[in-house]
Amino acid sequence: MKTIALYSIKGGVGKTASAVNLAYLSSLAAPPTLICDLDPQGASSFYFRIVPNKKYSSKKFLKGNKKIYDNIKGTDYDNLDLLPADFSYRNLDIELQEEKKPQKKLKSNIQELNTEYPYIFFDCPPNLTLLSESVFTASDFILVPLIPTTLSLRTFEQLLAFFKTNKLDTSKIRGFFTMFERRKAMHRDIVEEYCGKKRFLNRIIPYNSEVEKMGIYRAPLNAVRPNAPAAIAYKELWEELSNEIDR
Amino acid sequence: MNTSLDPLFFFVSDTFDLPLLFKGKHIPFSLQAAPQKNETIRFFDTFDWKGWSQKKAIVHYGSRLRIVEIKNGRELGSASLRKKPQNFFAGNIAEKTIASRLLDISKLRAFICFGTVETEVKRWRVLDENQKTVASIELRSIQSNSEEPATIALKLSPIRGYGKELETIAERLQQSSDYKEKSNFLDFYTAVLAATGTTPAYYSPKPSLKLKPGNTIHESARQLLLSTLEVIHINEQWIPQNIDTEFLHDYRVAIRRTRSILAQLKGIFPHEELYRYKQAFRELGKRTNNLRDQDVYLIQAKKFKDLLPVTMRDSLDPFFADLRNRHRKELRNFSRYLGSEKYRHFMKEWESFLKNETLPDSKTTPDAEKKTSEVAVSTIQKAWKKVIRHGRSVSRIATDTELHALRLDCKKLRYLLEFYASLFPAKTLLNIVRQLKTLQDNLGTFVDLSVQQNYLNDYLSHLESTTHNIPFAASLGGLVTALHHERENVRSHFHSAFDVFDKPETEALFNQLLNKYR
Repeated sequence: MKTIALYSIKGGVGKTASAVNLAYLSSLAAPPTLICDLDPQGASSFYFRIVPNKKYSSKKFLKGNKKIYDNIKGTDYDNLDLLPADFSYRNLDIELQEEKKPQKKLKSNIQELNTEYPYIFFDCPPNLTLLSESVFTASDFILVPLIPTTLSLRTFEQLLAFFKTNKLDTSKIRGFFTMFERRKAMHRDIVEEYCGKKRFLNRIIPYNSEVEKMGIYRAPLNAVRPNAPAAIAYKELWEELSNEIDR
Repeated sequence: MNTSLDPLFFFVSDTFDLPLLFKGKHIPFSLQAAPQKNETIRFFDTFDWKGWSQKKAIVHYGSRLRIVEIKNGRELGSASLRKKPQNFFAGNIAEKTIASRLLDISKLRAFICFGTVETEVKRWRVLDENQKTVASIELRSIQSNSEEPATIALKLSPIRGYGKELETIAERLQQSSDYKEKSNFLDFYTAVLAATGTTPAYYSPKPSLKLKPGNTIHESARQLLLSTLEVIHINEQWIPQNIDTEFLHDYRVAIRRTRSILAQLKGIFPHEELYRYKQAFRELGKRTNNLRDQDVYLIQAKKFKDLLPVTMRDSLDPFFADLRNRHRKELRNFSRYLGSEKYRHFMKEWESFLKNETLPDSKTTPDAEKKTSEVAVSTIQKAWKKVIRHGRSVSRIATDTELHALRLDCKKLRYLLEFYASLFPAKTLLNIVRQLKTLQDNLGTFVDLSVQQNYLNDYLSHLESTTHNIPFAASLGGLVTALHHERENVRSHFHSAFDVFDKPETEALFNQLLNKYR
């Protein structure tokens, strides 16, 4: 089982769009893939038109394994399932504090899904909280979408600093640029400086209004508009990433 | 609540109108239809119905080859297959999951297309208020070749996490006046098979007769030989088509079994006729030797290549190309022989000889009237003691001749055990065969490796000594050496394999077996 988190301290950088499209691409290569929507806003659940069961809540999520398994739902796509987020997830951080080893909670909670899903994606809420720490431990790869701006880069540095202070494994982290606009000089300069460097992936996701329309399509962009520039870029990004994962 | 992900099957009548069922304000679902399609279902199995006996359906439709668990209709794997082959091997399929499933069913046998059926399919997605798919429905009309009306099967496939919705939909379907009955994949599959006009057949290359211990051995032997003749007849029709190697293999084994009975049941058939048939079957067996050897090489081509370092492997290609060529010619000759008047005449003669129920003259055939059980005990005992005697006298180094001879002794014993299987308790017999098999495997591998080495040496000695042939000769030489090492390794294990067979426990098993009639 490989676990991949889409994470950023900053909001609105393309976490959900990336999680949904990359997970969809991963499911095409046959092995069943699971997306865990961890954000109480439930954006990825919304994209797949999935509503959690009435009795599902953050409490069940914290019980883990079988409780999680029973609440997984099939998307409209073969081999792609989703664990929807419930609005009660907004309390996850407080509830996690009461657990014994909160940082390891997520890792142990999904252990039994191992046999069923070779790939699990986490769509994380922004911020750096106890839940984020739990995600860091549970993930084999932490993908950080970055808009090529100074503020975005600053949060990336903050994340690295946090990892170093807490003696976490920084080799899991991969930054990649999203919403890139060639006409903006700052975008060009930043991409030129960072792209391909250590801890950065080569592929860039261009700004594409089609990505925003995912909210209207309510489907992965790669499923409905595979020829959109961003969809093509996601496909190449997945190829680059899966090569690294399989290594 | 239904939490299983297995599809549900129903039969409905031809006036069934799905969209009508989902009309109305109070229904929380809507339908999204896909264009109607004509699909040809082609179904495959091995000649001996291995898929069916392992409860797997192997079907091809919509450009995909699929394996389905018959008991619950779950698709275990599928792979894109745009071509429509008449038959294929598990090894030909590139997609890994389905290839390994097929290999579990059979490595050597080809999957043959046993039938096709034309179907008309309509598919719908069932959507909830969020336009989320909660189930899918497939309505398939299966038209058989006969005048009978088409069978209409409805398949309702669940989606994980939507069990409640599935239940509601299933209930709704069953309320329709055109609903006939709840069904399952087996019924659906049987309907498909029936439409193609095929029924799963039983085939085993081993005799499956139920012998009566009190019958005369003349009667039992004739029955055994007749059922073996049936195996010969079944396989001879398929050999010329060159679909897989097992038709020839089973044919050869049946001939060897025939020869083995004839050799071991003395005083049952008149001497002259016995001698003539023994000779004739020997000749017939010989005619297939080259073909079988070539088959074995071609099956093991990959193994042979892997024995060599990577750089030398491709040099073997001319060898295999040459083999394929020879195989083609040899098969053509043998097929011609199988179709010849001479062969057909011989088989007819043999059949009427076996069908002749009158007991021969007791002067020439003193044992013909003996009880089957009595002869079974004495022949098995004799063959078993022979294996023990010859096995014990094998020298420490275990020479080629010794091992070759012992292999034949073991085969004779094995055939006898199989022939008389129905007279004895299955469990004891199985245990004996298991002990014997360890020894037979060792001897079989040894002899195969020897034959292969000899063949290669012979091949090498006929090779033209040109510069062009140097890498080829080198790789053949490398192969001989590798096979030699393997053979010597097998030889060194002979004594321990024989000890597995020659021990008090096995002796006790034999006594337990034979005591039934002693």
